[in-house]
Amino acid sequence: MSATVKSTTKYKKGKMTALDYFLLIVLIIAALLILIPFLNVIAISFSTPKEYADNPLMIFPKHPTLASYKALFSDGSILTGYWNTIKLLLAGLPLSLFLTSSMAYGLSRNKFPGKKLIFFLVLFTMIFNGGIVPLYLVMKTLHLTGSLWSVILVGSFSAFNMILMMNYFQSLPESLMESARLDGAGEWRILVSVVLPLAAPIMATITLFYGVAYWNSWYDAMIFLRKAEQLPLQNVLRAIIVESSTNASNASSVDAVGKQAFSTGMKMAAVFVTMVPIMCFFPMLQKHFAKGVLTGAIKT
Amino acid sequence: MKSAAIEESNGDGKGSSKIKTLLSEIWKHRMVYTLLIPGLIWLIVFAYMPMGGLSLAFKDYKANLGICGSPWVGFENFTYVFRDPAFIDAVWRTLYINIIKLFIQFPFPILVALMLNELRMRRTKKLFQTVLTFPHFLSWIIVSGVVINVLAYDGLVNSALAMMNLPTINFLGSEKMFVPMIIFTDIWKSTGWGAIIYLAAISGIDQDQFESAEIDGASRMQQMFRITLPNILPTVTIMFILSVGGLMSSGFDQIFNLANAATKNVSEVLDVYIYRITFQSATDFSFSTAVSLFRSLVNMILLLLADRVAKMMGGDGLFR
Repeated sequence: MSATVKSTTKYKKGKMTALDYFLLIVLIIAALLILIPFLNVIAISFSTPKEYADNPLMIFPKHPTLASYKALFSDGSILTGYWNTIKLLLAGLPLSLFLTSSMAYGLSRNKFPGKKLIFFLVLFTMIFNGGIVPLYLVMKTLHLTGSLWSVILVGSFSAFNMILMMNYFQSLPESLMESARLDGAGEWRILVSVVLPLAAPIMATITLFYGVAYWNSWYDAMIFLRKAEQLPLQNVLRAIIVESSTNASNASSVDAVGKQAFSTGMKMAAVFVTMVPIMCFFPMLQKHFAKGVLTGAIKT
Repeated sequence: MKSAAIEESNGDGKGSSKIKTLLSEIWKHRMVYTLLIPGLIWLIVFAYMPMGGLSLAFKDYKANLGICGSPWVGFENFTYVFRDPAFIDAVWRTLYINIIKLFIQFPFPILVALMLNELRMRRTKKLFQTVLTFPHFLSWIIVSGVVINVLAYDGLVNSALAMMNLPTINFLGSEKMFVPMIIFTDIWKSTGWGAIIYLAAISGIDQDQFESAEIDGASRMQQMFRITLPNILPTVTIMFILSVGGLMSSGFDQIFNLANAATKNVSEVLDVYIYRITFQSATDFSFSTAVSLFRSLVNMILLLLADRVAKMMGGDGLFR
């Protein structure tokens, strides 16, 4: 504790040296390299085609307009995509939290026969997998292809998140669970009424991780779904920006949502609309992952 | 309740009593097993059944017979795979891109972490960290939307070049620019996130080391090279192992979304090849499964090898 106090005082008394200015300048350049492309995208989405043609370097539009957004939403496919992604989250998040927390709590218990084997089964999925074809055939056998459930189920468990949660559960004081057990509570009861209330930070982190993963998922949907009106937001966005512009060769018949030409403004509006929720949740995400949870998970 | 009963089973005693203690142990923990059942069902259905499906690689898949009913053909599929020039090209291209990434891209997060750590203004540091990690949380579809806009023929970068009377560059549609563009955009997206892991490692270093170095009159540069870097070396090793383990899988999301008709000759890495032969050309599930199996096996072997090498060199491995 005293060490951290001292080190902050050390930082305070130091003056800005040439090294500090150098670092500051390099980091400002790096930050601008990241920010400017986004600002450009946002500016274009709010500008008129003429203003964009006159000045592609634009960062702030002089005459902001919502025309691109109106055109985007009147097309409707983006709203369908939004709704499908919300369905993914509404069904996927509770399911993934149930699967992850029950297994994480089970594996965080004291030794029991088969614990090592089961943990190995989880770990092995991180270094080896069957690949897309067998998974597709399994989905087909289960009659899940063509249903949003295929995407929900595939994304509902991640070994990485489970191990993160397990590490956290292991750090909780055993005495609390022991006393609940003496009161006659079963393991499920203990999980729900003792462990989960104590695990709010990790539950928030894992919820955000699954949420971002569902929000960003598109590959499974591209493989498993058939109809345009089933596709989640990312696939709709892909149809709008990537396929309409260039990808004749890569275009799959599946996500051929928007074949009509989209103006640049509308494309950028679509990018912004897809990005906004992540921007809103990002500060929360950062608060959680910054604490080194990740290094804990990598080394198990 | 504690582990005493289990320790007992290691001791002497006849086989039957061992089985009895095992069974009673299992019975005692029956509630714990019910906790594991939902997760195990998921693993079996969505991870291990597909792994079983890898047997397709050694079969001649007939849709009407199913995976189990299709006849065995041994390694026949693999001989076809290794004779396909597109497959060989895809393998080399994947290795080529990943090895370049390993050399050029790998140091960036370490550099950024060191720079952020040396920065004295804490608020500003937070702000930089926020900006730099943001792109990691966006999908490659969003990022390619941004990239295609900025690097397009009439986009931000080329307009700026034209304004300065410099020659414009065809970033997106030229074979020569494809790999540099892929590597640059990947650095752009993932460096900040990679730096977080190193920053966490740096924050775990014992502060006393820096203080005694300070008292001994070590400069900040000296402290960086003599204390910070050696202390985060285990983390560097782990990240390196992970990168080597991924040599055969090169960001499908990125390449699939940034490639186009003009770059199709240089963009077909292994994952894109697998996608194409599986879902676009005449579908031969046995053939694509053989390719997938090859890829998964090579990845696993590389990961385990890198892990072994790291341990032999006295570092920490991935698995203890």
